[in-house]
Amino acid sequence: MTAVFARLPFDVPTRSIVMAAALLLLVGGWQYPQFFSPPYLAQQLQSGAFLGIVAAGAMVVILLGHIDLSVPWTMTAAATVATAVVGLTPEVLVSEKGVLAGLAVGAAVGAVNGFGVAYLRIPSMIWTLATNNVLMGILVYFSGFYALSSRPSPLMSMLGSGRMFSIPNVVFVWVAVSLILLFILRSTTLGRRIYMVGTHEPAAYLSGVNSRGVLVAGFVIAGICSAMAGMLLAGYAGQSYQRMGDTYLLPGIAAVVLGGTSLFGGRGNYSGTVAGVMLLTLMASILSIMQAPEAAKQIVYGVVVITMVGFYSLRERYS
Amino acid sequence: MPPPMQYLESAREGALIDAAPLLQLTGIGKSYGGVVALRDVDFDARRGSIHAVLGENGAGKSTLMKILAGVVRPTDGAISLDGEAYSPTSPADAARSGIVCIFQELSVIPDLSVAANICLADPPRTRLGLIDRKRQAQMARDVLWEMGVGQDIDVSRLCRQLPLSKRQIVEIAKAVIRRPKVLILDEATSALTASDVKPVTDLLRRLRDEGTLILFISHRMHEIEALADVCSIFRNGTHVETYPTGSRSSDEIVQLMLGRSLTQVYPPKYQVHATTEPNLSVKGLRWNGKLKGIDLQVMPGEIVGLGGLDGQGQQEILQAIAGILRGVGGTICMHGTPLRARGPGDGISGDRRFALVPEDRKYGGLFLPLSIRANLTAPVMDTFARFGIISRKAEAGTVARMIEQLQIRAENLDHPVETLSGGNQQKVVIAKWLATKPSLLLLIDPTRGIDIGTKQEIYRLLRRLAEEGLAIMIYTTDYDELVGLCDRALIIYDGCVRAELAGDDLSEHNILKNALNLGEAPHSREAQQ
Repeated sequence: MTAVFARLPFDVPTRSIVMAAALLLLVGGWQYPQFFSPPYLAQQLQSGAFLGIVAAGAMVVILLGHIDLSVPWTMTAAATVATAVVGLTPEVLVSEKGVLAGLAVGAAVGAVNGFGVAYLRIPSMIWTLATNNVLMGILVYFSGFYALSSRPSPLMSMLGSGRMFSIPNVVFVWVAVSLILLFILRSTTLGRRIYMVGTHEPAAYLSGVNSRGVLVAGFVIAGICSAMAGMLLAGYAGQSYQRMGDTYLLPGIAAVVLGGTSLFGGRGNYSGTVAGVMLLTLMASILSIMQAPEAAKQIVYGVVVITMVGFYSLRERYS
Repeated sequence: MPPPMQYLESAREGALIDAAPLLQLTGIGKSYGGVVALRDVDFDARRGSIHAVLGENGAGKSTLMKILAGVVRPTDGAISLDGEAYSPTSPADAARSGIVCIFQELSVIPDLSVAANICLADPPRTRLGLIDRKRQAQMARDVLWEMGVGQDIDVSRLCRQLPLSKRQIVEIAKAVIRRPKVLILDEATSALTASDVKPVTDLLRRLRDEGTLILFISHRMHEIEALADVCSIFRNGTHVETYPTGSRSSDEIVQLMLGRSLTQVYPPKYQVHATTEPNLSVKGLRWNGKLKGIDLQVMPGEIVGLGGLDGQGQQEILQAIAGILRGVGGTICMHGTPLRARGPGDGISGDRRFALVPEDRKYGGLFLPLSIRANLTAPVMDTFARFGIISRKAEAGTVARMIEQLQIRAENLDHPVETLSGGNQQKVVIAKWLATKPSLLLLIDPTRGIDIGTKQEIYRLLRRLAEEGLAIMIYTTDYDELVGLCDRALIIYDGCVRAELAGDDLSEHNILKNALNLGEAPHSREAQQ
C-alpha cells in the first residue's frame, strides 16, 4: 500500500487522509450497502465539488498566512448579482453576462479584502469578517426594496446541476479549478511568491517581492473561487437565496487544514486540500445516512479543525 | 585524548581546584535520523574554569551544549554532574540541576521590560502570589550592577527599545541571576559591541573565581585567547583535543579545527584606480534623527566597511540606500544619477542594480521551510519565466551555476533550506543576490555566527567580486574584519561619519578610538578601563 503511494506525488498528510477516506468508504459501504452504488458516489462527488472549489480559494489565502471569512456572503453576493443580471437580460447567451458579473463581484470583494489586509494592514480575521457583514447588509437592504430575479442562467444550471456520462458537471468544474490552481502554485512565479509571502512577509519584501500585490492577488483568487461556488450552487438549487453560503465557511477551512496546510502560512500542498475535501464530504454523508442532524455535522467540522490543528502543531513541535 | 591531569596546571590562581571534574561526559553520541551529530564523546570540565569549545559549524558543539542544557537527549552515553548521574528532560530541569545555557538566538521577550525578562524564570512574588514588581526591578538592577552595566540599562524599559548588544546583555543577566553551577554561552557574545564585551568578560572571570564552570562557544579567536583557561576542539562530531589556553599557536588551532591548514585568513587587497567614477555617492543622508548628514562614496572594485559601535546608524545607511526606509533626506546617486529605490525590488532589474544582503539570515534573508532552489532563485525567477510561468530547465541551469560559484554544499536542492548548516545558509543568501548581477552589493554582518572556513570563502568571494568591478559596502561588528577585508572603513558615530580610515591608518586601535569618539562619548569610560 505505502509503496504504491510513495510513487505518487503526494505528501504524507495527503496519503494518510486518502487512506482515512478509503477506510471510511469501506466501513460506510459495509454498514450501508448503498454507499457503493454509482449514483450515490456521484452524488457525493457533486456535493464535494462545491466544497472543493471553496476550499481551493481558502487554501491560497491560508498559504499566505491569512484567512478569508467573507466566503459565505461573497458566494451569496455573486450568485445574487449573477441571477439579477440574468433577470434583467433573460435572452439566451446574453444572459450569461450574469456569470461574468458574478465573477466580477467575487474579484471585487477579493480586491477589497486584499486591500485592507495588504495596504491598511488590518488583520484578515477582522477585515474579512467585516466585509462579510457589509455584503450581508447590502444584500439584505436591496432585497427589501427591489424584486431581484433569482433564476440562474442556462450555463449556471448546466454546470451546477447537469451531468455528463452520469458524472455531475460541477465535478468537471472542480477538476478544472484544481488543475489551474495546482499549475499556479507549482509552476508560476505567483505561486512561488504566495509561498514566500506566507512563510515570512518581511523576508519576501527584502527579496524584492511585491508582497502587497501578492496578497491582493491571493484574496482575488479566493473571491473568484467563492463566486464560482456561489453561482454553481444557485445553478444546482435552481435559484439564488440568502445565506446560501453559510454552510461552506468552516468546512472550507477545515478541508484545507485537514490537508496539512499550516494555518500560519507557507506550508501545504494542494493535493492535501483535495483529499481533505473528500474526507469531509464522506464524513458528512455518513452522518446524513445515519440521519444525524445538521448540528451534529457542524460539531464534527469544528472538532476536525481543532483536532487537526492540534495534531499538526504537536507534530511540528516534536519533529 | 590528553589525560585530565595535563590541563589541571592551567587552572589559574584563585580558581578552585577539585580532584574530580564537575562535569563528566562518557561516550556521548547523538544522531538525528541517519545524521550523526556527535560520536562517542568523552569530555571533562572542572569547576572554577572557563572552558572554550571550538570547532567549525557542524562540528557538534551546539549539539553538545543542547544536550547539557536539556534541549535534546543523547542517543548514547552518560553524563555526571558533581558525581551524580545527570539526564535533564527539559531546559527547566537542567536549570534546577544548576546548568543554564544562553543560546545565540536571543530569547528575550521584546514587549516585556528588562526587569521582567531578567526575572522571567522565577519572578519574586508578593504575599498574594502576584509578581512583586518593585522587588523584581531591584533584583534586575542588582544583577546588572554586578555585571558592571548597571548605568547603561534602565530596567523599566522594554527590551524592544534596546539595541541588539544590550539585549544580549539582558540575556546573559537572565542566566546569571539563577546562580548556575555550569553556565553555557553558545555564541552568546557574538552580538556584543566592543564596549559591552569588557563588562561581560569581567563578569565571567568573577563567576569563574567563585567556582562556576563556564562553557564558552565563540568564533572570535582573540576573545577565546583572552578569556578561556582550557580549550576543547571538536571536529565532525568528535572531541579532537583539549589543551590549556596558550599552549597552541593559532595556526595549530585552525589546523586542528579544520583537519587542514589555512594559508591566510584574508585575501590580499587590490589597488583601486582613483580615476574611475564612483559607483555610489551619497550626500547629506538624513533619516529620522538617526542619520545626521552622511557623505560617502564607493568606487567600483572597492570594499568599503562601515564600523563603529552597534546602533550608530550603520544599518540605516544601507537600508536607506536600498530604499527600505521612508522619509530619507539627502541624495543617493548610482553611476551619477539619483537612485530613488522604493525597496530591494527596485535593485533587481534595470541598469542600476544593487542588492542588500540583510542582517538576519533566518528571518530576513531566507524562507526556512522552502526549498533551497526556491530560495536561491527568489529575486531572479522572472528572468526565466515567460508570462509568469517558470521554466524548470532554465532555473536548473541558473541554480547549478550559483551552487558552483559559491561552493554550496547541499544534498538535495528540493530540501528545505533550513536543513543546511549556518555557513551554507549564508552562502545561499549571498548567492541569491549575486544572481541579480548587481553592480553595488550592500551587506549587513554577513559572517556573523558562521565558521572560520566559510568566512574565508566569503572573504575570497567578496574580493573576487570587487576585482570584477563590483562596489561593495559592508557593515560588520567585527573590527578584525574591517581591518583585514576592507580597502577603506568609515567609522560611524551618532549618525555621522566620524572617521575615514584606509591603508596603514586602518587598524583596530584607530577604529576603536574613533568608534568611541575620542573618549568624549559616554560609552567610552567603561571600555577604556
